[in-house]
Amino acid sequence: MKSGLSVSWIVLACCLAAPPAFSDPTQLIIGVVYVGAINDYGYNASFHQALTQVATNLPGVKLVEVENVPESGEAERVMEGLVQQGAKLIFPTSFGYQDSARKVAKRHKDVAFAFAGDGDTAKNFGVFFGSTQAAMYPMGVAAGKMTKTNKLGFVIGMPIGYALGNVNAFQLGARSVNPKARTVVVVTGGWSDKAKEAEAANALLDQGCDVVAMHVDSPKTVIQTVEARGGMSIGFQSVEARVLAPKGWITGLGFTWAPYFTELAKSVITGRFRGEAVYQGLGKMVAIAPFGASVPPDVQDLVNTVAAKVEKGFNPFTGPLTDNTGNLVLPPGAKVGADQMGRMNWYVDGVIGKAR
Amino acid sequence: MTTPLILGLLAGAILSGTSLLYATLGETIAERSGIVNLGLEGILLIGASVGFSVTAASGNAWLGLFAAGMAGGLANLLFGWLVVTRKANQLASGLAMMFFGFGASALIGARYVGAVIVGLPKWRPSWLAGFRWVKATTLFNYDLLTWVAIPVAVLVWWALFRTRWGLGVRAVGESPAVAFAAGRNPAVLQYQALSCGGVLGGLAGAHLSLSLTLTWSEYMTAGRGFIVIALVIFSKWNPLRAIAAALLFGGAESLQLQMQARGSLISPFLLDMSPYILTLIILVAWGGSRRLAAPAGLGRTFYGSE
Repeated sequence: MKSGLSVSWIVLACCLAAPPAFSDPTQLIIGVVYVGAINDYGYNASFHQALTQVATNLPGVKLVEVENVPESGEAERVMEGLVQQGAKLIFPTSFGYQDSARKVAKRHKDVAFAFAGDGDTAKNFGVFFGSTQAAMYPMGVAAGKMTKTNKLGFVIGMPIGYALGNVNAFQLGARSVNPKARTVVVVTGGWSDKAKEAEAANALLDQGCDVVAMHVDSPKTVIQTVEARGGMSIGFQSVEARVLAPKGWITGLGFTWAPYFTELAKSVITGRFRGEAVYQGLGKMVAIAPFGASVPPDVQDLVNTVAAKVEKGFNPFTGPLTDNTGNLVLPPGAKVGADQMGRMNWYVDGVIGKAR
Repeated sequence: MTTPLILGLLAGAILSGTSLLYATLGETIAERSGIVNLGLEGILLIGASVGFSVTAASGNAWLGLFAAGMAGGLANLLFGWLVVTRKANQLASGLAMMFFGFGASALIGARYVGAVIVGLPKWRPSWLAGFRWVKATTLFNYDLLTWVAIPVAVLVWWALFRTRWGLGVRAVGESPAVAFAAGRNPAVLQYQALSCGGVLGGLAGAHLSLSLTLTWSEYMTAGRGFIVIALVIFSKWNPLRAIAAALLFGGAESLQLQMQARGSLISPFLLDMSPYILTLIILVAWGGSRRLAAPAGLGRTFYGSE
């Protein structure tokens, strides 16, 4: 989910040409395509860590990883290259790889694809994602309890449904413990424009926000900017991000893909892979990061209690809900499930921002 | 507490305008000597990447800043070798330098993506910290590069317009043949101008990675190098006007973020376009007078000194 040119994947793709050693009992080669760098403290790091775990835990599984692949025709060529290298399970990990991945999957029915996104499934094409939206509700609870100015900031790359869902659940959580809490959204226009992310975080702090959350590929820039100015942050994508903010860290969400990926790898090895749509939330694909030192025990307990409720199936998107222009978007009793999140196109009451 | 829009805007304009100003000054010097470097984006990336990598490896941001300046200067010397010594087409060479910059910066920075660094130290004079609105923004809490940005612009103006060296550079930019006939060596002056410009470009890139974001990621300049080429035209190749140009464009970028942070109901997509619309307006507005201000020999290859 990154705009920008990149050439380093060419270098990496050339490295793939090395033939496997004779004694190698390789059972499965997993190909992975990343939109950014694997050590970004964020989105890409979460996949890299999980797949490294899979390769360590399952004997005979080899990883071939290609970083910084743009969401263009290049992605298709990289995936073709992975197939030629013998990959039987491919992870196109960015939403923008969808078309390329589907084309390559149609040509190679014997190769399994696990696409991090949504859409139709096929026999060899599964889709999955961690549902962070409901899990953002306890994050909002934490922010609503910790804020002193009652203004919470949220930096998002683009106003897609999943990002809007995160903002909305965050605001609903904050409002549930702090009726005065409001969430201000700043859209940077890209998933990885670091300079704009820094400026957006600064703008939010200038306007009086004291807690900043984010939905961008790497939370690093926003968290560091907020930390340097003495603000508090709620992390996203990778639980490791907490080391970036020794003072202002409250808590955050990270992806824990490893168990599901292990299952997928096993199913390919045993020939039982079937393309499915799998969306899992808190407790499975999504985990809550440890709390920062400044978070009082009673707030920690409250957040953990709410998180447990979410794990048991509590859905914050339950009507009646009005959007921030006063329209009733969800009648009493109606719900927005994790599978419909991509189509969300409104901000809930209390969010300051324009969804369309 | 909500900061008045104007203060937030100013704070943001200075924050994003600093690297724009250094890059504009660097490109201005180069273009005054008759050489347009469309590869500035690549120079910025190399500066950002080298600055970050050296800082991450050594733990010293000053060393990183120094290395970034050197790397920018060297990259521009390479460009100079292409267009001055080898007499290659400037536009094509510039684009080649841009792609070289993408690749080289990615390669250099790859090991340090995700590294955590201590950036350039920032100072805010204590008597200013007492003001409520100052404390609520980034105003006057700056690193060395921001503090000396305007003095550097004045220095560049002085060097170009008040010294014998600057006269030579400008003469070469107007007409290398005439400068050559008057006893100046166009190639030497162009190399000097390019290396100064490269150092400033390297520093501009380093400001992004060592101060603003504390991060290195591929293509993090996101087109700022090209904006700067427009800013040079907007400032009519004048280092003092470049201050206003950088602030204005930095302000346009900051406007859309500050407006969002204040809860403006204007579409973020429309606001996001505002800096580029401003660039277009500037180019159209100055379109007619461009000939008058541009160095006459800009972009032309000089064959005469062989």
